[in-house]
Amino acid sequence: MATPTTTTTGGTTRALAGEFAAFLPEASVITDEVGLRSYECDGLTGFRQVPAVVVLPRDAQEVAACVRVCARHRVPFVARGAGTGLSGGALPVADGVVISLQKLRRILEIDVENRRAVLEPGVFNLDISRAAAPHGLYYAPDPSSQQVCTIGGNVAENSGGAHCLKYGFTTNHVLEMEVVLADGSLVTLGGPTGEQVGPDLRGVFLGSEGTLGICTKVTVRLLARAESKRLVLADFPSVQAAGDTVGDIVDASIIPAAVEMMDSLAMEAAEAAVGAGYTVEAPAALIIELDGPADECDTQFDQLTEICERNGATRIHVAETADEQAKVWKGRKAAFAAVGRISPDYIVQDGVVPRTRLSEVLARIAEMGSEVGLRVANVFHAGDGNLHPLVLYSEADGEHDQAEELSSSIAELCVELGGSLSGEHGIGADKACSMPAMFSEDDLDVMKRVRSGFDAHGLCNPGKVLPTPRLCGEKPGKYQAHPLEEAGVIERL
Amino acid sequence: MTTSSATPTVTPGSLDDLRDAVLHHTGPLLVAGAGTASDWAGAPEPGATVLSTAALTGVISHNPGDMTVAVRAGTPLAALQEVVGEHGQRVAFDAARVARGATLGGLFATGDSGPLALTFGSLRDLVIGATVVLADGTVAHSGGHVIKNVAGYDLAKLLHGAQGTLGVVAELILRLHPTPVATATVALPTPLGDAARHAHAVAASPVEASAVQWLQDGAAGRLLARLEGTRDGVAGRVTRLRETLGAGADLLSEAAAAAAWAAHEAAVDGGADDRAVLRIGVTPSLLTDLLTGLADATEVTAAPLTGVATLSVPATTAAVEDVHRRVADLGGTSLLRRRPAGRTDLPALGPAPTSAALLRAVAASLDPDQRFGRGRLAPWLPTGVTA
Repeated sequence: MATPTTTTTGGTTRALAGEFAAFLPEASVITDEVGLRSYECDGLTGFRQVPAVVVLPRDAQEVAACVRVCARHRVPFVARGAGTGLSGGALPVADGVVISLQKLRRILEIDVENRRAVLEPGVFNLDISRAAAPHGLYYAPDPSSQQVCTIGGNVAENSGGAHCLKYGFTTNHVLEMEVVLADGSLVTLGGPTGEQVGPDLRGVFLGSEGTLGICTKVTVRLLARAESKRLVLADFPSVQAAGDTVGDIVDASIIPAAVEMMDSLAMEAAEAAVGAGYTVEAPAALIIELDGPADECDTQFDQLTEICERNGATRIHVAETADEQAKVWKGRKAAFAAVGRISPDYIVQDGVVPRTRLSEVLARIAEMGSEVGLRVANVFHAGDGNLHPLVLYSEADGEHDQAEELSSSIAELCVELGGSLSGEHGIGADKACSMPAMFSEDDLDVMKRVRSGFDAHGLCNPGKVLPTPRLCGEKPGKYQAHPLEEAGVIERL
Repeated sequence: MTTSSATPTVTPGSLDDLRDAVLHHTGPLLVAGAGTASDWAGAPEPGATVLSTAALTGVISHNPGDMTVAVRAGTPLAALQEVVGEHGQRVAFDAARVARGATLGGLFATGDSGPLALTFGSLRDLVIGATVVLADGTVAHSGGHVIKNVAGYDLAKLLHGAQGTLGVVAELILRLHPTPVATATVALPTPLGDAARHAHAVAASPVEASAVQWLQDGAAGRLLARLEGTRDGVAGRVTRLRETLGAGADLLSEAAAAAAWAAHEAAVDGGADDRAVLRIGVTPSLLTDLLTGLADATEVTAAPLTGVATLSVPATTAAVEDVHRRVADLGGTSLLRRRPAGRTDLPALGPAPTSAALLRAVAASLDPDQRFGRGRLAPWLPTGVTA
């Protein structure tokens, strides 16, 4: 059952809207029921809350002015980019304001000489690389939703992507940010280089899921395209053999640009949807991408295929052309939504284990699934141990609660095995209640103290990341696919 | 735990000891590692108890298969490199003072970095987890043993570059990289004015240099570019790099390369005793003009591709302030690293940034009595004042 939608009414809404209208055009202050409803959730559709007001400022000064109105009235506010987040980070707060950054969407500068881009928060991730491409440059972090997610959201979530194994996360690529703090002041965090004087406030802000302020401008590093890129799709007789292969690659001192693993259930779904050439009978497959200077790339690629063979690979398919490579990636990226073809409903989990414990965690997940009679498909970033188990179930058959329980147990199992509750989807509203599984009361208390340093009154995206008794009493509803996802435009891994 | 009464120094030997020491000694605390950067940043207010990490050493756990290592903060990086080196791994970090015994905690707290920052960033990019002790004895963990992790705030970042304010780092978890099989350095004699052009040519070529540094060498200078990778691969790239840099670019022998990088380290880490050493960072394209405009600067080293430089100027308030002001005018950062003994009057920091009030608020929340590193970030974090 989805959480019932709630709405707010009353004088506060009118008073706030009146103040916003003093500096925003009428169309940029949304208070009507229908308009508000389109902001009631993000990509985690099981959590819904209609806000009191939605505002659409056009620049940093207007964002700051909106925040000052909220601060004056002590009204909580939630920043929102494209709303593609998967942990409810942009879930509105009851009686609160949603500050949409969708009008701040300019690429302010592509600085080729210094290899950096200056961006407003509403710029789509993929558009950065598109704008940089004519200069042989690109922006490395590539979350799978990169066509539709924004850099501001990436900053909030410290987003990764398939290639972060080699190239790092958003935090490794952001140099400088302009931020509106909870009191409406505008400050700069970070600097034009990696040099710092004083604490790395930039680094704390990154990945704070909108709880420490609103980013209104960001300077990111751009990288040069590698000379060569090689891709192999290899089938294995077991998940264990595929896992061992990843270990052997690391032991051979090879850092691939990406290593992705899919199990047979995931391949079955992906193949049905895309026809990328996967062997659906294979228990597991790896997609391994190498990049770098041409000679070394070729040498390491030979080593790589040899490692695959040594681990009993049943088929090694080298995708030689860019088209072939794109096809393999398309299958991988479609896998998630494609699971809808083999199960009426499913829940996506996101957890991390030390890579060396991959086989163990997969065996445990399979056991846990069979104990409750539910299937679990696995598609994941094998290089860094980031799992995305998909718990398949049928809402109609009343399996929701069981599936939800299994999914949460899997995340907590990751912590038990020395990993993390989340590798990239964030904690948001979804997992705040699981935080005590990973952090002590003291750890969480220090995070709260940091938060109060940034935001003394707790107005900035309250109820996210850090557990609260109110939040943890509520239950999420089932996962519902985003229309873009059903159309195959985006995916969630 | 040992306590010396002559100089108020406490040397805890475990995390519990460290927490007890913080709770037991009620006044200001000055964290000390190997002492390789004791005069960096603002001068600490006198009278603090020295909290030494000299006994907080050793690897807690090394997981070669996961390429991570957990280590106590007082461990010298050079010692850690030996341990992980046995497994063909390294911490991809090469700040100049590592050779003098600098500890992980000290390198982290001072936000130091070396030439490899071009490729691997600084310790803020390599540290994936931390255990810290706050002024009220709270022990807090963040991050963990996995490289990919977005659960909770990245508290470790707060202590990076904090210069010993806010709290003390007890343990760090780092990600490791494979030690390259082969390394080669190509050197090109070039004055500073042309170094950036050559460095950009290197960056535009596909050789993927892991470090590119310019250093002053008498009246002229030389550009060093380091390549790392497989034996054949590096050999091939050396050829391409020499073609890119043109006449005068030479592959250095192993000994010559070691000497060249040692000279670079000495320039960054040394400096005459009667001069002030500053570390600056500006948008890379602005660096050359800035440095050539500083007529009094000596022992200049510069990373043309990252915009970071280290230089010495006369130890006068006017000369140091001039550097701070010029850098601030370009939107950059500057920090006084070394000064002649007793010259606590030299300004350590440039003009306060827009985030100074936020810094004070965060400090007030974590260390309300400003026990840790009082004076280190003055005047941004004023002494004797709580926000």
